[in-house]
Amino acid sequence: MRRTIVTAAILALCLTIGMSAAVKKYGKDLTLKETTKISDIYAKPDAFNGKTVKVRGAIVEVCEMKGCWIALASDKEFQQMRFKVDDGVIVFPLDAKGLTATVEGVVTITVETEADQLEHGKMMAEEMKKPFDPKTVKGPKTTIMIKGEAAEIQ
Amino acid sequence: MNWRHLNNVLHRDIGYLAVGLTVVYGVSGVAVNHVRDWNPSYRVEKVALQIAPIRATDRDEIVAEAKQKLGVTQPPRNTFRPDPDTLQLFFRDGNYTIDLPTGRVITERTRPRPVLYEFNQLHLNTPKRLWTWIADLYAIGLVVLAITGMFVLKGKTGITGRGAWLTGAGVLLPIAYWVYHLWLE
Repeated sequence: MRRTIVTAAILALCLTIGMSAAVKKYGKDLTLKETTKISDIYAKPDAFNGKTVKVRGAIVEVCEMKGCWIALASDKEFQQMRFKVDDGVIVFPLDAKGLTATVEGVVTITVETEADQLEHGKMMAEEMKKPFDPKTVKGPKTTIMIKGEAAEIQ
Repeated sequence: MNWRHLNNVLHRDIGYLAVGLTVVYGVSGVAVNHVRDWNPSYRVEKVALQIAPIRATDRDEIVAEAKQKLGVTQPPRNTFRPDPDTLQLFFRDGNYTIDLPTGRVITERTRPRPVLYEFNQLHLNTPKRLWTWIADLYAIGLVVLAITGMFVLKGKTGITGRGAWLTGAGVLLPIAYWVYHLWLE
């Protein structure tokens, strides 16, 4: 009996370790073979606008309220790109921060007016429980993000 | 066996089967409803620390100096610099955000809330696959419970008596709220 319990405990531990190192899929399957660098998208946004890309990077932020977006670190310093999913399609776990994600979706460029930025800034501040200073909004702002339904995290 | 007996047997047995899931969905429902006020699945602990300013300029040296000043020996899972003055170090058991010129550090530890995390994952159908079918069956079971529930009793307290008023009130509640939401809220 004791041997059985010890064996079961070891098996459970191995399974847990194995699962924690495994790739976890979210949403649909990734389909693209080629990975695009985030820095390439920032370098030529118009060339990628509306195109489906697969990118990879460290998860540096997760939507705290609904888990509906993650921010990925670029291959270049001081750059990050948001990967947004429709609410409820994927719920990214908050403890995924620091893990590496491969995501697939459509590059979307939007130009936010000052009013849009104020509204968005307030919403983001609420989501991330961080203060928002309306004075930081100065003129229209171009935002590049990836909207998609497929991700893998490891 | 007459139809009312069959109805009551169905109501009783589906009711027993639904107890566990109703507790899961009910508790999680309240928790998730208030997502604007708190994170129902995770507990996030943030603590401020102070270390000496980081003097290094090369990225690898910055990481090494930060680890040394934080007293951390294991390698980070990932590192990130959102801007020239900030370094983020991600470890399995927590993350550090360091303001390099001042040495101000915010440590962040994220832990799933026991029980609630699991309840919420099931409620939000994060596992998908088989759970989608179980959740669908449970939803159908609730509809059957509601319908059979109306016919459990007969007489004054049944659906032809007090039951009619209470059922009517229960049906009116979402309709009235929707009208209020559309035109008055």
